[in-house]
Formats: sequence, C-alpha cells, structure tokens
Amino acid sequence: MIHDGLIRNGVVIDDTFAEAFPMKATRILITAHNMTWARHAAVSATGFATSVIACGCEAGIERELSPDETPDGRPGIAILLFAMSGKELAKQIERRMGQCVLTCPTTAMYAGIAEGEAVALGRNLRFFGDGWQISKLIDGVRYWRVPVMDGEFVAQETTAITKAVGGGNLLLLARDTDSALAAAEAAVSAMRRGPNVVMPFPGGVVRSGSKVGSKYPALMASTNEAFCPTLYGIAPKTQLTAETACVMEIVIDGLTEADVSTAMRAGLDAGIALGAASGLLRISAGNYGGKLGPFHFHLHQLMGVAS
Amino acid sequence: MSITLRLRTAPGLRLDLRGVLPSVLAALDVSAIEKLPLGLGRETVPLAEFFDVQRQGDEARLVLQGDLSRCDRIGWQMAGGSLLVEGAVGDWLAAGMTEGLVQVHGSARDLAGCEMVGGELQVDGDVGDFAASAQPGSMDGMRGGVFNVRGSVGQRFADRMRRGTVFVHGDAGDFFASRLVAGTIAIAGRIGAHPGYGMRRGSLVFVGPAPALPDTTVAAIVGTPVIWQLLARSLQRRGGAFSGLAQRAVRRHLGDLAVGGRGEWLLTN
Repeated sequence: MIHDGLIRNGVVIDDTFAEAFPMKATRILITAHNMTWARHAAVSATGFATSVIACGCEAGIERELSPDETPDGRPGIAILLFAMSGKELAKQIERRMGQCVLTCPTTAMYAGIAEGEAVALGRNLRFFGDGWQISKLIDGVRYWRVPVMDGEFVAQETTAITKAVGGGNLLLLARDTDSALAAAEAAVSAMRRGPNVVMPFPGGVVRSGSKVGSKYPALMASTNEAFCPTLYGIAPKTQLTAETACVMEIVIDGLTEADVSTAMRAGLDAGIALGAASGLLRISAGNYGGKLGPFHFHLHQLMGVAS
Repeated sequence: MSITLRLRTAPGLRLDLRGVLPSVLAALDVSAIEKLPLGLGRETVPLAEFFDVQRQGDEARLVLQGDLSRCDRIGWQMAGGSLLVEGAVGDWLAAGMTEGLVQVHGSARDLAGCEMVGGELQVDGDVGDFAASAQPGSMDGMRGGVFNVRGSVGQRFADRMRRGTVFVHGDAGDFFASRLVAGTIAIAGRIGAHPGYGMRRGSLVFVGPAPALPDTTVAAIVGTPVIWQLLARSLQRRGGAFSGLAQRAVRRHLGDLAVGGRGEWLLTN
C-alpha cells in the first residue's frame, strides 16, 4: 500500500510516522592537542556503533568544539552514545573510551552532560596507571591523571546518563542511486547542523532498512522487503512504485523527542528543497504499527499539517 | 533571619563557642539563645553573660561582632548555614566544618580550618599556626572544602592535609604543607624554611616568587598542560594574585622524594 501523500515541491510526503523508542544516552567531550587527533579519537570511539542490534550501542559525532568551548582550552569533539539500558551504556563507555580515547595521542575526556545518573568514565580506566595515577578534585569534580608515554591522560571520573530517544527515521525514495544519495547527503547535512542528535549509520545513511523479526528464528531483524526495489513485483507487499529504484534511510537518535523532531523536520526540508526534479520522489518513514516504541513522529505533523 | 551576637566585653579566660552555630540558633528564640551554655575556662556560663543577642532582617545567617580573639571554636563542626565574624577570632576557627560558609573580617589564631571536611572558610586577615592541619594526635588534616586566607599563615600550614583547596594570598611560615597527603594549595607570597617536608602527594601552586626548592625534589622533564589548564582556570577565579594563571607558563617539580615523590610543585614565576 502506498500512503496518501502531501506534495511539496513535487515530493510526496507520506501520511505515516516514524516510530522511536526510549534509550539511555550520554555525551562525552574529547579534547586533544589539535582537532586532527581529537577527531581520530572520536571516530574510533564511535566506530562500529551503527545499531544496538549487534554493536551494543549507537554513537556518533555530534559536533566539533572550539578551544573556548572545552574545559581545557583545546580543540575537541562532542560525541553522543546511546544504548538500550544504562548498564549496557556504562559497559560500552568503558570499553570504547578505554580502547579508543585513552590510547589516542594527547587526548583527554570529560562528561558532556551534568544532570543524570553518574557512571564511570575515568573511574576504572585509572587503574591502567598501575598505582601511579593521581586524583585531582577541582571545583567538586574529580579527574584522574594517568601517566602515559606522551605525558598524562586526563579523564573526568564520571559522566551522566540521561533518558533519550532512538530510532527516529526518514525513508527517502528516489528514482535512482545518484538522486537517492544526493537527497540523503543533503538531509544528513541539514540534520547535523542541530544539537543533541546523531545519525549513527555510515555517513548517517542506512541502505539496509530492516523490519522486526525474520523467517529465521535466530535473527531479530531482517531486510524490509516492502522497500526493496529488487523485490518489486515478486514480494507479496511493497511500498514502492515502479519508478522507485533506490531507497535510503536516515536513522536519528536524540537526547529528547523534540531534538529528534527538529532533526527530522530539517531532513524533510532539505529533501523538499531538492524537489522532485532532483529525482527524489517520496519521503516516508518506518514504523511497526506503533508496537515498538512510544514515540511517534508523524511526517505531516512535522510539516505543520494535521493528518 | 539574621541573628547577631555582639560581644560586650572581652572574657578574662578563653571562651568556648562550640555549639553557637547558625542552624542551632535559627531554631531558638532570643531568650533561649541567651541561655546557651558557653565554656569559660573550667566553668560554664550563659551566652548572655558576654553577648547581646539581636534578631533582624530576612537573611538566614549568624553574625558575631566584636574582638573575639579570646573566643575559640567558632564554627566548630558547622554543618550548614552562613556565619560572619566582624572581628578577630581565637583558636580552632571552623575546625571540623562539613558544610556552609564562614567569613571572618579579621584574623584567626591557631588551628583555623583544621580537619575541615567541606564548605568554605574565608579569613580576611592572617591565621596562626597549624591552620588546615590535623588536631593533635590525628592522622589527617583538612579533608575537603575551600579555605581562603587573604593574609599570611603561620607555621605548619596544611600539615597532613588530605583533600580540599586552599588559597593563601600572603606569606607562609616554616614547614609549609609538611606531610601533605593530597589536595591543592595555591600561595601568592613567600614561604619559610622546609616547605613540603615529607609531602607524599598533592599540588603546591606558587603564583608569587619561586621558592627555594628542597634537595628532595626533582624537576619534571615534561609538563602536564591539560590538568594545569583545568586547575589554573579554577584557581584564577579567586582573583587578585591568582588572576590570569591559565595564561602563565608553569614549571613542575616532584617531591618529596623521601616519601615517594608523588607530590607536585607548580611554579609560575
């Protein structure tokens, strides 16, 4: 079935909604001697973090930080990490920060969220110092100083985890691969201008949109055949028309429902600005009939149109 | 509501003001406050024998007025609220304080802020010996909070101090930061003999003249610029001699090597 559409600049906006679910999240500020090394650490720490299905967490770079925005006056990067539980998030923080930030030349790391349940950031990594580590309490915040080969690794003792929203999404249905990629890139670029969200997939885009479950009992997710153009005409159900040859999805995780809404609206606007002339035919969203999560982002409502 | 205690005459013996705390007095009426027992030498006397009591205004704090240099244990084990002293005070000022703010517009005698655990202690004048240190026979000195001395400090300042942050705007006597266990001490003035004697860990920040370094320290071959920025940005908010610290270059020495050498001396001149 193809949803009733609202048409903007020739692009059909489906009368449907994205379905998102509650997650736990934290922000970590990584600083370094220069932006190059801060970025190396941030990219590494947020690598292999596209989906909680198999990565343990979803993570991404939120934005770059200028020296006057960081605690130590050096350039830095803010990353966001999301997981399905606080316990899993704490585990992922420790592993990723230990293997990707502690190891990266010249870096230091700090909590980027003050309010919420405190979980270990440098608290356990300090033991790498083998007894040579030093604690320093500054303005009520404890930092750990771990001697390493380029000097010392400084890490705030804890970071705070907060409630968050994961799984906001847009589906971009286009005439061909070039137009689908162009629309996806424009949408991701627009979404990244806002705070408090990350798009965790490669380049912010996922081509393997999934449905819940599989014919194989061991799999908890499998390809969403209704949006696969190669299955048009043979799959029992399709969401596509004959001229739709390529579909890209953008998944959005945000600290609040409002953050995800704002990012989705930015993505919609970017796609609409390109228009049907670019090859973008429709914008839709993925949901599971409202059974997966409590957060429903109706595309028409995001566009300011009552559905 | 502000409660003011004005000292009428200087006591002939040491007057012990433990228990005269903002939180305690806030729950009492004037007549009950006047009956509070104070230690005078070996005797106990009612508070009204030495102080006039007045309640006024809406500000929730205790104000002590007069020359209280013969009054000891002001703010003793204070656990909250605000205490202002308009004059000099005796020994044990804010000793064992856990929370709240104590301000003294004058000087304090010995053992000020000793075994302080939290809160903030501000002394506009000088403090005597063993400030921020341990009580006799105790293993740990100051254990938390902020201690800000605008004047100079006496001997054995911060002896056995374990946690917390201390600012000294003036000079310090002999055995400054002796047997320091940890914590941060920033000083703007000169220091006496044997600084950092037996210091195990902790940070000494010298923003004024560089001290003569003991033979039991060693120069660090690399700096620690990240933690210095975090520390300096915090310290410089005190203003005065501490202004602009984050822009200064810093030299780092380690000591006391006699006890492991994990303390650090941060010299900015």
